Amino acid sequence: MSVLEVRDITIRFGGLTAVDGLSLAVNEWEIVGLMGPNGAGKTTAFNCITGFYKADEGQVFYRGQDVTRLAPHRKAALGIARTFQNVGMVKSETVLENLLTAQHTKSGYGPFQALTGMTAVRQREKELAAHADAILELLGLTDVRDRPLGSLSYGTLKLLELGCALANDPDLLLLDEPSSGMGPEESHELGERLLALRRELGVTMLLIEHHVPLVAAVCDYVYVLNFGRLLAEGDPDHVRNHPEVVAAYLGAEVEESA
Amino acid sequence: MATGELLTPYDADAPGRRASLLGLATRGTAFLPVLALVLLLPRQSGDWTNDAIFAAIYAMVGLSMNVLVGYTGQISLGQQAFLGIGALTAANVVHTGTNAPDPFTFALGMVCAVAVSAGAAAVLGGIALRIRGLYLALVTLVFGAVTADAVFTIPSLNGNDAGVSAYRPTAIQTDYSYYIFAVAMVGVCLYVDVWIRRTKVGRGLIALRDNELVASSFGINVLGYKLLGFVLSGAMAGLAGGVFAFWSQEFSDKDFTATAGFNKALIFVVMVVVGGLGNRAGVVAAAAFFALLDPILSGIAHSTGWINYYTDHKAYISNIIGAVLLLQTLIFNPGGLGQVLRPFTRWFGGHPFSLHDEHGDAAAAALAGGSDVRA
Repeated sequence: MSVLEVRDITIRFGGLTAVDGLSLAVNEWEIVGLMGPNGAGKTTAFNCITGFYKADEGQVFYRGQDVTRLAPHRKAALGIARTFQNVGMVKSETVLENLLTAQHTKSGYGPFQALTGMTAVRQREKELAAHADAILELLGLTDVRDRPLGSLSYGTLKLLELGCALANDPDLLLLDEPSSGMGPEESHELGERLLALRRELGVTMLLIEHHVPLVAAVCDYVYVLNFGRLLAEGDPDHVRNHPEVVAAYLGAEVEESA
Repeated sequence: MATGELLTPYDADAPGRRASLLGLATRGTAFLPVLALVLLLPRQSGDWTNDAIFAAIYAMVGLSMNVLVGYTGQISLGQQAFLGIGALTAANVVHTGTNAPDPFTFALGMVCAVAVSAGAAAVLGGIALRIRGLYLALVTLVFGAVTADAVFTIPSLNGNDAGVSAYRPTAIQTDYSYYIFAVAMVGVCLYVDVWIRRTKVGRGLIALRDNELVASSFGINVLGYKLLGFVLSGAMAGLAGGVFAFWSQEFSDKDFTATAGFNKALIFVVMVVVGGLGNRAGVVAAAAFFALLDPILSGIAHSTGWINYYTDHKAYISNIIGAVLLLQTLIFNPGGLGQVLRPFTRWFGGHPFSLHDEHGDAAAAALAGGSDVRA
C-alpha cells in the first residue's frame, strides 16, 4: 500500500484548470520528486494534498485512508508534515518556541487542563522542550535555540523549517522547494541530509524541486508537471532526458508525433 | 585575545540560566515596595480604595483584551458587553435584596458570571470566526450596542430599570477587604495568562495570529483556537464584570448604555495597545493608568481650581490623552509600555538585567509588520 496516493486530482480556479487529472503515488521509504516549470501547478497540487484547497475532482489516500476532505490540521495530526516555499514559521517567536508550536498535536494535555498549570502539564512541557533540543542538535542549530526568527539567515530558516516539520514525528514529509535560495554546495548538503533523515527516522518524502542535481541525487522517482498535467514520470535519469521535459523547461517546440 | 564576540548580546543570558539564591533574594526585596504600593496605598482613604478596585477591574479587562487582541490577533470593540453580562449575571444570581449573601451564593454568582460571559463570547466568536479586520471590528461593535440596548434593558434582568442590588458577603464587606479580593482575582487572571503563554494554548493562538496556514500545517485547529481565544477572553471579562457588580453593589443598565459602552470599548483597545500587545505587565500597568486617569486629573483640577472646567470637558480630556498615547505608541514605541518595562520584568523573572532584548524587539517588529507566508 502506498503511503500517499493521489487519484485524478483536478482543481479549477474559474476558467483555469490549475491541476488536471493528476495521479501519483509515494511508497514507503521513497523520496519522490515533483518537478515542473513555474506555474505548472506543483504547489497547487501540494495544497490539495494538505487540504488548503479543496480538489474539484479526485481523491487523496494516506495509507489507504481517504483523506481528501480532511482539514489541514487533522492531516498534520495523522503524521503528514509540510514546509512552505517561502518559510512557514511563526515569525514573532523564538526558534525554541517554533519547535514547541510544531509539536502541538502531541502535547498530550487539553487546552483547559493547560491553564491549571498542573504537574502533568509542566512535565509534558519539559519533554516537548527536550525533544525540541534533540531536533536542534540533529540539525546542528543548538546555538540559535533562543534567538528570534527575525535575526536568522534564510538558509538557517529553511533548515529550521525542516526541523519544525520533523518535530511532530512525521511519517510523510511534503517539502515545497527545500533548496530554494541555496547555493550548489548547500543544496548538496541538503540532499545528504534528506537521505540521512530517511535512513535514521524512516520518513517518506514528496518534494517539489527545481534543482536537477539534487533531484537526481535523492529522488527514487520523479513526476513532471506542465500546465497542470502530468508530462512524464519515471526515475530521475529517465525524466532528465525526456524530450518533452527538456522542451517544457527550455521552452522549445516539440514536434507533434501525430 | 578574545575577539569577535561583540554581537552576542549578553554572555550571562545563556539559555536556561536562572538567578542564584542571592539573586532571588535581591529580586524579592526589590519587589517588596511594589507589593507594598499595590496592597497598602489603597488603605489610606476611602476614595483611593474605591479607585483602586476600579483599577483592578480594568486590569482584568486589560488581560482579557490581551488574550483576544494580543495573542489571538482579533480585534474587539464589544468587550464592555462581556463586562456587563458578567455584572448582570452575578447580580441576578446572588439577588439577595438588602441582605449580604452567604459566601457560597457569592462564589456561585462569580462562577456564573464567568460561565455566562464565556458562553456569550463563544456565540460572538462563532459568528466572528470567518471574518476579520474591519468587518470583525464592526460585528463586535454591533454586538456591544445590541447587548446594551436589547439585553441590559430587559426589565426582569435589571430590576425594572431600578438596578439589581449586589451586596458583598460579610467577609469582604469593607472597601479595603474587597480591594484585596479584587487583586486576588487579578492574580487569577494573571495566573491563567502565564499558563496560556507557557503552553500550547498560547503558542497555538500566536501561531494563528501570525499566519493561519502555517498554524494549521502545525496541526493547530485554527477555527477552534480562535473560538478558544474568544471564550478565554470573555471569561476573564466576565470575572471582571462580577467584581464590578459587587464593587458598585448593584447592576444597573445605566452603567452599560450603548454610548458609554462604546467609549469604554475604545479605551479598552487603547489600553491594550499602549500597554503592549501580548505583554501582561505592560497591559496591567496601562489598564491601571487609564482607570486612575480620571481620579488623578480631577484631583489635580481640584487643587488648581480648574474643577468646573474639568468636569465639563472630562470625556474629551481623557479621550485626547488616550489618543495621544496611542499615536505615540504606534509611531515611536510599537512594543508599548510593556517593552519599556521589559528589562525590569525580565529581571524579576530571574534573568540578568539587560536593556538589550532581541526577542521583545523582534516580537514588536513582527506585530507591526505582519506576515507574508503563502501556501
